[in-house]
Amino acid sequence: MKAPFSPYLQSIAPALKALVAELGRDYDYVSVLSTDSAGFRISISQRAKSVSNQSMTTERGSVVRVYKNGRYSEYAFNEFDPADTAGKAAEIRAALDAQFKLLKAAGQEIYETGKLADEPLTLFVEKETEQLPESADLSSLVDMMTGFSDEGMKTVPGALDVMVAATSTHICKLFLTANRDLRQSYVFTEASAASYAPGKNGDIKFAYEGVSGCGGPEIISGLKAKIDALPKVVTDLTGSEPIVPGEYDIITEPGVTGLIAHEAFGHGVEMDMFVKGRALGAEYIGKRVGSDLVTMHEGARCDESVTAYAFDDEGTLAGDVVEIDRGILRTGICDALAALRLGIAPTGNGKRENFAHKVYTRMTNTVFDSGSDTLEDMIASIENGYLLTGMDSGMEDPKHWGIQCIINRGYEIKDGKLTGKVVSPVIMTGYVPDVLGSVSMASGDRRVDGNGACGKGHKEWVKVADGGPYLKMKARLG
Amino acid sequence: MMFDLIRNKLNALGCEAWEMTETNETRWEFYQIGHKLDQNRAVKLSGTEVKVYVKSADGQFLGSALDTISPTATEAEIDAALAKLTYQASLVKNPYYTLTDRPVQTAGADGAGSGSSKDCPVDIAAIAGDFLKVFSSIPESDIRRLNSTEIFVSGICKHFANSRGVECEYIYPSSELEVIVNAKKDGHEVELYRIYHSGKCDSKRLTDDICRVMGFGEDRLSAVPTPKLGSFDVLFSTSDACEIYEYFADKMHADFIVRKISDWKIGKSICPDAKGDLITLRALPSLPNSSKNYPVDREGCEVYDRYLIRGGIAENYCGSRQFSQYLGLEKSSLLTNLEVEGGSKSEAELRSGDYLEIVEFSDFQVDSMGGDIAGEIRLGYLHRGGTVTIVTGGSISGSMNEAMKDMSFSKERVQYDNRLIPAVTLLKGLRVTGVE
Repeated sequence: MKAPFSPYLQSIAPALKALVAELGRDYDYVSVLSTDSAGFRISISQRAKSVSNQSMTTERGSVVRVYKNGRYSEYAFNEFDPADTAGKAAEIRAALDAQFKLLKAAGQEIYETGKLADEPLTLFVEKETEQLPESADLSSLVDMMTGFSDEGMKTVPGALDVMVAATSTHICKLFLTANRDLRQSYVFTEASAASYAPGKNGDIKFAYEGVSGCGGPEIISGLKAKIDALPKVVTDLTGSEPIVPGEYDIITEPGVTGLIAHEAFGHGVEMDMFVKGRALGAEYIGKRVGSDLVTMHEGARCDESVTAYAFDDEGTLAGDVVEIDRGILRTGICDALAALRLGIAPTGNGKRENFAHKVYTRMTNTVFDSGSDTLEDMIASIENGYLLTGMDSGMEDPKHWGIQCIINRGYEIKDGKLTGKVVSPVIMTGYVPDVLGSVSMASGDRRVDGNGACGKGHKEWVKVADGGPYLKMKARLG
Repeated sequence: MMFDLIRNKLNALGCEAWEMTETNETRWEFYQIGHKLDQNRAVKLSGTEVKVYVKSADGQFLGSALDTISPTATEAEIDAALAKLTYQASLVKNPYYTLTDRPVQTAGADGAGSGSSKDCPVDIAAIAGDFLKVFSSIPESDIRRLNSTEIFVSGICKHFANSRGVECEYIYPSSELEVIVNAKKDGHEVELYRIYHSGKCDSKRLTDDICRVMGFGEDRLSAVPTPKLGSFDVLFSTSDACEIYEYFADKMHADFIVRKISDWKIGKSICPDAKGDLITLRALPSLPNSSKNYPVDREGCEVYDRYLIRGGIAENYCGSRQFSQYLGLEKSSLLTNLEVEGGSKSEAELRSGDYLEIVEFSDFQVDSMGGDIAGEIRLGYLHRGGTVTIVTGGSISGSMNEAMKDMSFSKERVQYDNRLIPAVTLLKGLRVTGVE
């Protein structure tokens, strides 16, 4: 079935167009983004259960962007009376005028920017889904997830709990300007199974597995395979040891490959950082940043994942950008205002945490291309190293291209064979061009994961997905 | 009006219990590139979060479901949302517990105050103006400068009520700043990142800290790669140290106890073989200019002054109504502000001998569940053999479960938003992976 576009947004669209026209009398450019995204979150464990109709991406509200005299301003709100667009326009003018009064008193200079283009465009997208979160059979889902938790408690050795969580959201967004009318509706779902058990040093070891994709609550049933995988993961972790720090040959499984794509490189080519002079990547366009085996794509069109939208939060159509082509940095990604300031075309990467937040250049799907090696050959090629599995977290460093990835566990490889020894956790650090330059093998398969969220600095959380094949490289582990 | 409408409908539902919180927020945001305005934004939001509780037929279980009613919702949409919540709550089976029935006082503390939730008296324009003045007065030079800043100032009005007669309204300011600092010399440029939270603008404290960070930036320009140090003592003297004390606070959460993530028992030592300073941790309803100065937690439970840990002995758990009651605690609340008492030595005494002081990480983390310590070093000062070397790169790792056995912290203290902690904290024997 097609995910139907929001009747609420449909109903207020004429009034929002009137609001754009009303504000157009005072401002040279006006856009409005309105959202109406419903969903659920279910959390099941042996200790507590919960159901909520709120998630990181559920929302209903609008944000107006206006432009005049080289300045961009925004006003976000979630109270709207379609019968009083003049009143809302007056409220917006009053709020922004009050801000300008303060800015003028403070002697604030303006970062002058040109006017956004407003070429005529109409788009209506309703993506396919098997189920909708708002009409899903929650009773069956709660029963299924409770069954997963119960099963995990029986099979995971020493488990103190098995936690199963699922979130599904039906995203509906409407973008309007004087000349544009874009509407999209799609559903994404993510689910996870996690367990923890005592380690051998009296600590607690945590294991996590997830599924996700552009689709409805039907995706949650995929957790069964993850529940089946948990016992081995937990056993590996509880028997693990700290790693001896040093530089090693490593193989990254697709989840860790994705973490590197995202943290090591993805943030570094978000081009709003170029505008601020915050990204080293600006100096490397056209230069080598990785080995010939490194090709990386970024864009909402790259994968049918949790972030496979048709247009971004500024009304730019989704893209598929080749950022690195056989080791050479070709370009970055860009929101519309940053693109205007840099004199380039936007790439469809302007995203907001929700309607009430500012647009920044953000990642969507960040994915390394596959190669032609087999995992077996990659393991056989390593004398002393690790197969790294399970991403915990990472932190970007666009200015200096440092890399910090915290990885759940590493499987020791000696003389071309897995020894069975496990280390955890593993902190991977290094300098991005060195790490990517050391990529010497890539597997023929690939996977894209979309669980979790990405911040810009330490805030502004949005959904992203990343992945790629198994990669062999060198890195410092600690 | 929306509040009363929803409350009346909840009362008519006939469910076991309910709670609701109406939030009205007005926010001003200013984004600057250098000292030029990138964008200004104003935000006006309202909404009512509603939680419906349903008891199982045998009275053994209580389920709940949560939603936010949009201010644009029609009466029919509210009715449908409440019916849906009632059904969803019936699917959830948690051991029975009750909501709070303790009346609360909402006398304001440092910016928080009572009042009508539609009438938000926080002067966000004045607070935002103070932040703008700070940024325009920071001393800069050819070497050190502000790259970009983001200012967020909110006035937040909350109105809470539940089915057991608890009702309160309170108002508080909340500010967030992102500050990016650059240092540049001889074509080499570095960046430092800070995010600050507070109630209002404390101009002096903010100016002092940004200037200190700029000093770090200049130092980083001359940093050399961190040597491989192996097991080494590490000193924390910035807000990163809050992560260390969060570990102790998390271990005292009722949630962690019920879930068996923590085995710390009331009246028992949290670390029987500790030979360093003993932790004293206190939950407080307010701290000066904290962004978390509110009289009740999100469940309407009064936030009150009590020790979580005193002299290394676990004294009180904190946490949600549900998990606290599972531990037999009738009175509890979620943590808002936290104070850590100073240690036995001065900062100067702790700064003797060999140690690595790290003032910039990529992202310093202490995993509350496993106790793992991790962080990539962006700037550190290696004190060894009477000399100080500025270092960058490499990482530290270790375990709080081990480090807490012999940790030291200073008598002097410093406040970071809602955390008042020792000015310096020394963890011994962490693993330091260098880049040489």
